Amino acid sequence: MLKRFWLAAGLLLAALPVLAHHSFGAEYDVNKPITLSGVVTKVEWTNPHSHFYLDVKDASGAVVNWKFEGYPPNVLYRTGWKKEVTLKPGDTITVFAWRARDGTAWAHSREVTFHDGKKLFFGPPAGTGDGGETPPVEVK
Amino acid sequence: MRPCLLVGALLLPTLLVAQTAAKSAVPRASDGKPDLTGVWQGGSTRRGSWEEANSGAGVGGTGRDANAPAALASTTRPPGREPPPYKPEAAKKVLESYNNRAVDDPTAFCLPPGTPRTTLVGLFPMQIIQTPKQIVMLYEYMNVFRVIPLNAKHPEDMESSYMGDSVAHWEGDTLVVDVTGFNDKSWLIGAGTFHTEALHVTERYTRVDKDQINYDVVMEDPNVLTKPWPFHSTLMLREGTRLREYPCAENNLDPGRYEKLLKDGVNFRRQQQ
Repeated sequence: MLKRFWLAAGLLLAALPVLAHHSFGAEYDVNKPITLSGVVTKVEWTNPHSHFYLDVKDASGAVVNWKFEGYPPNVLYRTGWKKEVTLKPGDTITVFAWRARDGTAWAHSREVTFHDGKKLFFGPPAGTGDGGETPPVEVK
Repeated sequence: MRPCLLVGALLLPTLLVAQTAAKSAVPRASDGKPDLTGVWQGGSTRRGSWEEANSGAGVGGTGRDANAPAALASTTRPPGREPPPYKPEAAKKVLESYNNRAVDDPTAFCLPPGTPRTTLVGLFPMQIIQTPKQIVMLYEYMNVFRVIPLNAKHPEDMESSYMGDSVAHWEGDTLVVDVTGFNDKSWLIGAGTFHTEALHVTERYTRVDKDQINYDVVMEDPNVLTKPWPFHSTLMLREGTRLREYPCAENNLDPGRYEKLLKDGVNFRRQQQ
């Protein structure tokens, strides 16, 4: 069963599409997915990446402000987002993301789930910008 | 009434066929050449509007259709295409650059992606404006452009550049663009695919129907490639899409982050399989 899981996981990783402005693998860890819920405190609709910040309560009740990176504004627009309409400070949302390699409260966002259950992608899949699963050349 | 109905019934299939043919016919410019004018998406094979064609779960997709393909990455060579024929020494440098792509990729610093890499990007649209004397290509990715005179020679005092110097001519219904005068700072297709200032790119744009341009490019660089490297892709028409600005340097935090990660000893190099 476990073997089958790892086979499926491997196939999934191999199938992940790739691209963009910079390397996902450089900054984020595909082995550290995370789902967090909280209140939006700020949205940066900027290039080459947009960001939003989320106040999330940790296990002890303390509030940690998380930063999430995502698509540039043009891609957000074409995937259904509207600046200052779709996501605003004060909104309560849930986000699926991958954590930054440096272990801080910073992550690469993927899917945002809104209060009404609607879902939109704020960022690309893991592996984005990694230059493909294999190098462009073979060196013997 | 009856003869009218009969004529109508006989004409109906003809009209339908005519309509279908009109939809897929190659639009022509006033000089009779195929008109390449329009907003296009590189690296895609799907017809339809931007929204219809980008409904997959991959990069830039809305995820509404899990089976739809992803847009092409600027750092990725599509699977199944011919690999670059690098000389052995040059191949080592490609691999090194691939492993360091987070800091070696010129686009990480918001620099122009070069030719043909810019054309193949699927995440952002490009626009072609055709006149009888020149062709203008505008790329949303990195806000770069090419103004391409027809039937002209490259200038004598050409200075090297990221996008190169382009001149074009028509061969039948194919627009042939000759690009030279490159600097050595861009990548061709795929992470690490460097070249020298000797790079010579020949692009062929053939609009095969209303929705599709066949994009066939050959890259030559005798300093690093053993032979010309051919590559075939398609540009798909995206009616209703408008180019927007992409001021990449607006809030580019990446170079600073990489520097910090390096300083902190975080190993972000891809592990060799």
